[in-house]
Amino acid sequence: MIEAAAINAVMRTLADPTRRAVFERIVGSDEITVVELTRGSGVTQGAISQHLKSLKQAGLVAERPEGRNVFYRAEPEGLAPLVDWMSHYGVFWRDRFANLKTLLKEIDP
Amino acid sequence: MNYAALKSDTHEIVVDEVLPHAPETIWKALTTGELIGRWLMMPTGFEAVKGKRFTFQTTPGGAWDGVIHCQVLEATPNERLVYAWKGGHEGNVGYGSPLDTVVTFSLSRVESGTRLRLVHSGFVLPRNDGAFKKMGEGWKKCVPTIGAIAGEQVSSKEPH
Repeated sequence: MIEAAAINAVMRTLADPTRRAVFERIVGSDEITVVELTRGSGVTQGAISQHLKSLKQAGLVAERPEGRNVFYRAEPEGLAPLVDWMSHYGVFWRDRFANLKTLLKEIDP
Repeated sequence: MNYAALKSDTHEIVVDEVLPHAPETIWKALTTGELIGRWLMMPTGFEAVKGKRFTFQTTPGGAWDGVIHCQVLEATPNERLVYAWKGGHEGNVGYGSPLDTVVTFSLSRVESGTRLRLVHSGFVLPRNDGAFKKMGEGWKKCVPTIGAIAGEQVSSKEPH
């Protein structure tokens, strides 16, 4: 099963509208700096940095330092906890079949 | 071992294996509450009787409480067990989105035991399927939806 904690962490991180807007801007560009993200955002650079920290912790954003700049990019794998049902159940049933075989060995050795 | 899982064209999951046990033994594992709990999940209210409703509690996601609502559609001892498997919430995408599916177990006696075939059918794949795996326009559309769900979840958990 998917970890409830992982699902909730991603959902909680994206619940904040400003943070979501930051994430969307990162998704919309290959790589972007804090300065570029701050420009036109209506919030301070410090606030943007805080949002970036949360996004990094949730695994949604990765950073690449270069010289005096840090470039941010989106991490598609970060949304994996929200993957579609079919992929989820593909893994689920294979796991459960393995459990069933173990159980059958126990009750019918 | 034959895992023909994830048939993307038919939108169903198939697991098909020959198990070295009699159909009667496997039927017992599929239809006894306590045994179901040991390999699948502990059901509430299960009985292998057509029309019987029961539930499984799984991991909640977004606006969905994680309850799978099931109903026995067919129960032919030692041969076939079919139940509806429904859950999710329309405000969700991906895990926790609306789910209206059917789970079918078919048992057939073979020389070395029983062939057990599971088919989980009825999956409707989202239009932006794959958007999570690939950067693109799909992302920009699905991200706000996730945000909406997440917002709903957080606000419902905050003390009032």
